[in-house]
Amino acid sequence: MLGPLIKKEILENIVSYRFPLFLVIVALLIPTSLYVNHLEYRKRVSDYSEQVRLADEALRSSRLIDIHMGSIPLKGFHPPAPLSVFAGGFENSLPRYYEFQPAGPKEGETSVGDESVLSILGKFDYLFIVQMVVSLVVLLFASNLVAGEKELGTLRGILSNSVARPTILLAKLIGGFVAVWLPFIIAFLLGMIVLSAGSFPLLTGANPLSVLLIFLATSLFILMYFTLGLLVSASTPRVGSAQVATLLIWIVLQLVIPKVSDMVAALAYPVKTETVVSLQKSMIVKTLEEERGKLLGREYERIFGRGAPLTTDPTPRPGLNEWNTIKSDADSRFRERKADQVRQVEDAHRREKHVQQTIAGTLSLLSPGAAFTRLITDICATGEIDNEKYRNAVSLHQQTLDAALFSHISKTTLIFPGGGSASSSSIGELIDLQNLPTFSVGRATLSEVLNGNWGSILSIIFWLLATFALAHVRFLKYDVR
Amino acid sequence: MIQAIDLSKRYEDGLLALDHLNLNINPGQIYCLLGANGAGKTTTINLFFNFIEPTGGTALLNGVDCTKRPLDAKRHAAYVSENVMLYGNFTARQNLDFFTKLAGRKDLKKEEYYMVMRQVGLPERAFEQRVKTFSKGMRQKLGIAIAMLKQAPALLLDEPTSGLDPKAAAEFVELLLTLKREGKAILMSTHDIFRAKEIADVVGIMKEGVLIMEKSRRELEAEDLEKLYLKYMEVS
Repeated sequence: MLGPLIKKEILENIVSYRFPLFLVIVALLIPTSLYVNHLEYRKRVSDYSEQVRLADEALRSSRLIDIHMGSIPLKGFHPPAPLSVFAGGFENSLPRYYEFQPAGPKEGETSVGDESVLSILGKFDYLFIVQMVVSLVVLLFASNLVAGEKELGTLRGILSNSVARPTILLAKLIGGFVAVWLPFIIAFLLGMIVLSAGSFPLLTGANPLSVLLIFLATSLFILMYFTLGLLVSASTPRVGSAQVATLLIWIVLQLVIPKVSDMVAALAYPVKTETVVSLQKSMIVKTLEEERGKLLGREYERIFGRGAPLTTDPTPRPGLNEWNTIKSDADSRFRERKADQVRQVEDAHRREKHVQQTIAGTLSLLSPGAAFTRLITDICATGEIDNEKYRNAVSLHQQTLDAALFSHISKTTLIFPGGGSASSSSIGELIDLQNLPTFSVGRATLSEVLNGNWGSILSIIFWLLATFALAHVRFLKYDVR
Repeated sequence: MIQAIDLSKRYEDGLLALDHLNLNINPGQIYCLLGANGAGKTTTINLFFNFIEPTGGTALLNGVDCTKRPLDAKRHAAYVSENVMLYGNFTARQNLDFFTKLAGRKDLKKEEYYMVMRQVGLPERAFEQRVKTFSKGMRQKLGIAIAMLKQAPALLLDEPTSGLDPKAAAEFVELLLTLKREGKAILMSTHDIFRAKEIADVVGIMKEGVLIMEKSRRELEAEDLEKLYLKYMEVS
C-alpha cells in the first residue's frame, strides 16, 4: 500500500504550486550564490598570491636589522579556503595575516571591512540559503501535509480504506521529502555546473568528497526539517495553525537558541577578552625586560665600572668574557621565563575559552540549525576546527621563528642602579633570510571534521528520529473528523 | 452486513453523541438515517470507519469488529461523504486510480476506469479533466465510481445528496438503486425525507444520539414520513 501513497504524494506535490515554487527558489539562489562567492573567492586567491609575492620581495630586499626594528614585518598569510564558496564561516572575520615579531605574533586586518553593512545580516552563501530559506520553505510545505489533507477531506477518503496510519505517515514522509529533495538536487547540480564552468577546483584533492558530504549533510538537514513540519502538521487541526506553529518553532530553533547559547555561556563562564590577554602578555614582557635590564645594568657596572659605555665591540678587554657569559645566561633565562609565562597566560585563556565554547557549543546543539552550521563550516574549512588550526599554526610558526631568527637577534637594555639606561642590538650569527621557514596552515582532514562533529551529526539525527517518532504517535491519535 | 450493537460515543468534552445504537442492515437493503444536525448520524458512520473510537458497544462490517480489526473491517465497506474528498489537481482517472489501488485493486486498466465513469454518468470529457473543475454532482458521481470499484459489499454514505440539484440527486439515487440490486448493504444518512421514503428499505430517525424510531418500508407505506419526522423531532 506504500507504493500508491508515495506516488500520490510525489504527484500531488509536483502538480501543485509547491514543487515549481521550491524549484525556482533553490535553482535561482543556490547556483547564484555559488557563482558570486566563487568570483569573490578568486579575488581573494589573487589578493593572497599578490600579498605573498610582495611579502617575499620585501623579505628578499630587507636586512635583518629592518626585521628587528619592525620596519619589514614577517607576515604569514591565511590562504582562502576553496570551499568557502559554500560557507564563508570565519573566513572573513579571521585576520588575513599575522605579523611575526620578537614580541610575539600580531593580528593583521580582516576582510570584514570589505563587505557591505548588509553582511551583518549573514553572508549570502549556500549555508545561509539552506539555513534560512530552504529550512523555512520545507517546514512550511511539510506543515501542510496532514492538516491540509484533513481540511481537504481526502484524509478520510484514504482512511476509509484498509491503510494503516503509520503507512500513510511514512508515505507522506518519503513522497513529500522526494518532492522537495528533487528540486534541491537539481539546484545543487546546477551549482556544481556553474562552479565547474568557472574553473573551480571541484575535483581537486578532498574537494569531491567534501562536496558529497555537504550534499549528504544538507539532505539530512532538509529531511529533518521536513519531519519536523510533518510533526507539527500531525499535531494541529488546521493548516493555518500549523503554519503559525512552524514559524514559531523555526524562529526558536534557527534564531533564538544559537544566539542564546552564546549569551548563556558568556554569563555562566566569563572569559577575559583578547585585549586583556594581550595587555597581560605585554605586561609580562615589560616586567621581565625591566628585570633583565636591571640585572644586566648592575652586572655591567660591577664588571666595567660606573659610566663605562655600552658597546658591542668584540675586541678582548678585561671582564668581557665574564660579561658575555652573564649576558648570555640572562638572555637565555629571561627568554625562557618570558616564553613560559606568556604560554601560561595563553594556555589559561585558551582553556577558559575552550570551556566557554564547549558550553555554548553544547547548548547550541539543541538547535539543528547550529549543528548544521558547525558541520558545514568545518567541512568547508571555514569553521571552528580550521580556525583553531590557523591559530595553532601561528603559534607554532612564532616558536619556529623565535628559534630560527629572533633568538639570534639580541637587544640589550641596561638599567643602571644609579639611574639612566643604555641599549644596543646585536646579531648572534648570520641568518639567511631567504631560507627562513615559510608560514603554512594545514586544512582539517575529513576524518578530523567528522571526529570533531559527532555532536552536530548526532543532534541532527536525534531531531530527525525524535520528530518522526513523535509525529507517528501524534498521527495515530489524529482526529480526522 | 452493517451492524451496530449498543454502539455509543461520548466525546472528551462530555457530549454523548451516540447512545446505545442498534441497527442491522442486510445485503440488498438500503437503510436511511434521518435526523437533525448533531443527531449522531455522522458519528455513526465515523465509528464504522474507525475515524473515531467508540466508548461503548460494537460496530461490525460483515461480522468484523471495526474497533478491534479496523483494517480488516474497512475492506468490506466503501465510503461516500457529503463533499466527496478528492484531489483537485488530479484528473478523475488519477483519483480513481489512486483510491482503487488503496482499496487493493491494482490490476485495473484505463478502459476499466472509463467504463465505471460512464456507468455513473460522468461525461467523457471529464475523464481526463482535473477534478477541481468538477461540479458537486460530478464529484459525487466520481465518489460513487470509487466506491463501486472497491467492490465492497457495504456502502456507507454521509448525506451524499446534500447540495445536489434535483436532476443530479435523481441520478445519484438511481445509482444507489443499481447498487442495491447488486446486493450491496447501504447505510445512508440524509436530511432528504422524500428521497429516503423513495429508496429506503428501513428508515431510522435519530435525535441527540438516540435512534428514536425505526420503521420498514411496509410500515411506512401507510404513514406520512414528513409528519412522522416532525412529530419525533418535536417530542422532547
